[in-house]
Amino acid sequence: MAAGPYNYSYIFKYIIIGDMGVGKSCLLHQFTEKKFMADCPHTIGVEFGTRIIEVSGQKIKLQIWDTAGQERFRAVTRSYYRGAAGALMVYDITRRSTYNHLSSWLTDARNLTNPNTVIFLIGNKSDLDAQRDVTYEEAKAFADENGLTFLECSAKTGENVEDAFLETARKIYQNIQDGSLDLNQADSGVQPKQLPRTTPAGGGDAKQCNC
Amino acid sequence: MSLQEQSDVSVAGVDADRLGRPVATGEVTPTGSATSTGSAASRIRQASDDAPSASSTTISTANQSYMDATLPWDKFSNWVHCICVVTFDLELGQALEVVYPGYCNLTATEKMNICYLAFPDSNSGCTGDTRFHFRMRRFSGKSLNTAQEAYDQRAPVYLQTDPVHYFGFVHFRQTKDKTIPRGYLQKSVVLVTLLPLVNLFTHVVETIAPRFFESGEPAIEAACHDIDQWPAPQPGVTFNLPLMGSIVQCRIPSHYDMPNYQKPLVVTAQESTHLAPTLLPTVHEPQLFENLAPIVPHLQLLWELVLIGEPLVAMSPSPTHCSGVVQSLVSLIWPLRYCYDYRPFFTIHDSEFKEYTSKTQAPPKLVLGVTNPFFTKTLQHWPHIVRIGDANSGQATTAAAAKVFKKSTDGRTLDTKPGLYSQYKPFLAKDKALLKRILKGAESQRPVEVQSMILRRHFLEVTQSFMIPLERYLASLMPLQKQISPFKAAPQARRFDLEEFLATVADSGPGLTSGLKGNWTGLYRRFVESANFDGWLRQRRKEVDHKLQLLHLEVLCATDFSECDLPARHEVELVDLVLKLLDKIEFAESNPDSVSSAQRTKLQAQMRTILATVDEDLKSVLMSNMTLKQTVVAVQ
Repeated sequence: MAAGPYNYSYIFKYIIIGDMGVGKSCLLHQFTEKKFMADCPHTIGVEFGTRIIEVSGQKIKLQIWDTAGQERFRAVTRSYYRGAAGALMVYDITRRSTYNHLSSWLTDARNLTNPNTVIFLIGNKSDLDAQRDVTYEEAKAFADENGLTFLECSAKTGENVEDAFLETARKIYQNIQDGSLDLNQADSGVQPKQLPRTTPAGGGDAKQCNC
Repeated sequence: MSLQEQSDVSVAGVDADRLGRPVATGEVTPTGSATSTGSAASRIRQASDDAPSASSTTISTANQSYMDATLPWDKFSNWVHCICVVTFDLELGQALEVVYPGYCNLTATEKMNICYLAFPDSNSGCTGDTRFHFRMRRFSGKSLNTAQEAYDQRAPVYLQTDPVHYFGFVHFRQTKDKTIPRGYLQKSVVLVTLLPLVNLFTHVVETIAPRFFESGEPAIEAACHDIDQWPAPQPGVTFNLPLMGSIVQCRIPSHYDMPNYQKPLVVTAQESTHLAPTLLPTVHEPQLFENLAPIVPHLQLLWELVLIGEPLVAMSPSPTHCSGVVQSLVSLIWPLRYCYDYRPFFTIHDSEFKEYTSKTQAPPKLVLGVTNPFFTKTLQHWPHIVRIGDANSGQATTAAAAKVFKKSTDGRTLDTKPGLYSQYKPFLAKDKALLKRILKGAESQRPVEVQSMILRRHFLEVTQSFMIPLERYLASLMPLQKQISPFKAAPQARRFDLEEFLATVADSGPGLTSGLKGNWTGLYRRFVESANFDGWLRQRRKEVDHKLQLLHLEVLCATDFSECDLPARHEVELVDLVLKLLDKIEFAESNPDSVSSAQRTKLQAQMRTILATVDEDLKSVLMSNMTLKQTVVAVQ
């Protein structure tokens, strides 16, 4: 019989990073609620969002950590990276400064996650093309140089938002399939550097607590 | 913002509206043309003479009335959207003369529809008073107020509101009046509401309209004032509603009633001493026999057509009759809700006329009631047509309408003989015993109420026999208790599978509870394709999901997390657990009816246990989430 979505096979942790006001929370909201949040308050600390998706017939639960973009939270934010399977790095195509800061965000992402973490570059606010401050080509070149996947999105219209989240999941899943992401290591009992950890659908895991 | 500011800036304007000065809307005509300002102004009448003084006193007490008091019209709008008077003006055509409350929100299209639907469509023999009702599309949003939402939660599914359709209840009068050019008065009182309480509002309009024609607008104003005293429309409660010097006693059925339950209304001694209430035995049930007598032989077939959502039109010369027929037809499948649109009275001026009569597409799935002979041609391509003669012509019609005409495309449908025009082959055999019983009753002058009750009970039983196997199958889709784990989301019921269900019909199908013979399986196949099935399944899913959330919540409460070796689990999994608990706490708060406060406290205690078990790093990460922080702080 059709498995309910509660029977997901994996949980993937994502983090969303980038400067203040680039639209991180709005992207999350658009992805989980399919709605645009017009007056979004500043994120303090971390906000969570979850959604269950399907990749290659497997149900995967995304646990998305939406971080504060303000510089003063930067030190706190660093503690969120650990164990992320995917990182969405966001800038605002209408504000050049948010693009210029990408290298610093990328450094954090590289240093604080494991080598297999999939980093996805998102140029948000593609609906405001008239006010564009960063060309697509320029950002695409930056992404290629650094081995990132890149898309321009709009949290307002929803354009490409779904693709960014799903494409990231596909890449992570591919890494699991070809063995480059070692799940056993995650099960070693030490705080895992790598994610995801499998949660078998059947509940056959000895560690599964059904008490 | 300070209250001072409020009273300085906006109170006067708001209050004038709130106190119900009706806005003269005479300038709105169905054709959309505007009258000159002069004539519009002359139509403005002051509904409440004390409005100016009242609004000035409100300014001084704005403080209180703005904070907590119920404002005028608040209670009114729980029951009624507005009450209008539509008149036939020689120069303008149908025109909206008055709307109560004045601030009432109606779009131009809504006003136009009210204007046209307020009058009989092919008005020739309608001298005197005519009452009927209609449904029209709502264009001004689809929100409900708090009382209406509460009503929907407790009302049976088939009586829940449809937020995108209004009901209109009409009392039309046409009399000779020498003082008017051309010598005729043609006017309607129309009550517009979202609540499908057909009998109640018919009664209300029947009470208000004669008084209005007697003494003019003050009658409407007084009625509005009375309705503004009514308590919220809560299903399951017996009401005594004041209305124009009398009391209407009635009860809206509740979702929790037994099927076919009717609480007897009793006059209490105290009330009977000075004012005997009018007892309204049912606020919603159309009189089946009164409306459907001429087509009783077809009812079994019509029940099928309504059940599977076939396009169906009822033609009758009288709007009273056609609205009664349509309302009765869609009620045949209760306790199922008829989920398509239906129009008890539909005219060629309706804003959906083109959409619904288009010949380039298949006829839409809905039930229409029409009076205008023009529809004979317009709806010629519809597969099922019920034609009923004038109800007043008596028994002769009964016999005539019993005929079934095979519909063909050769134009025979232009026939005007009463009867059913359709090529539909029913899945179930006719219940001859029922026919005999009704016929005998008619011969022996059995009261129409009793005849109606027999029909109502019969179709309730047929519908239930049809639904019980589906209900039983649905119950078998529930997950097992042992599948519920604190580390997983609440489980969901398995998906509905038609073939799997049909396999159960042979052994435990409707045959167990119904004597009707026929191809039940074929009927199920058609039914599951209909919106009626979708609506039923969606409702049941909602109930099942709610139940499963509760079971999951119980498991989360009962789990001893200190034995689950949380530190050995991965961060992602722990965060997932914490988010689930947060979700459940939120669920508990928004469902105080089904989650006890002890359970809520327990969930919060569980959250504390988990936070105490995880390492400091993770704890500080989690506590930087504002929602979680607030939840935990609230506990401490």
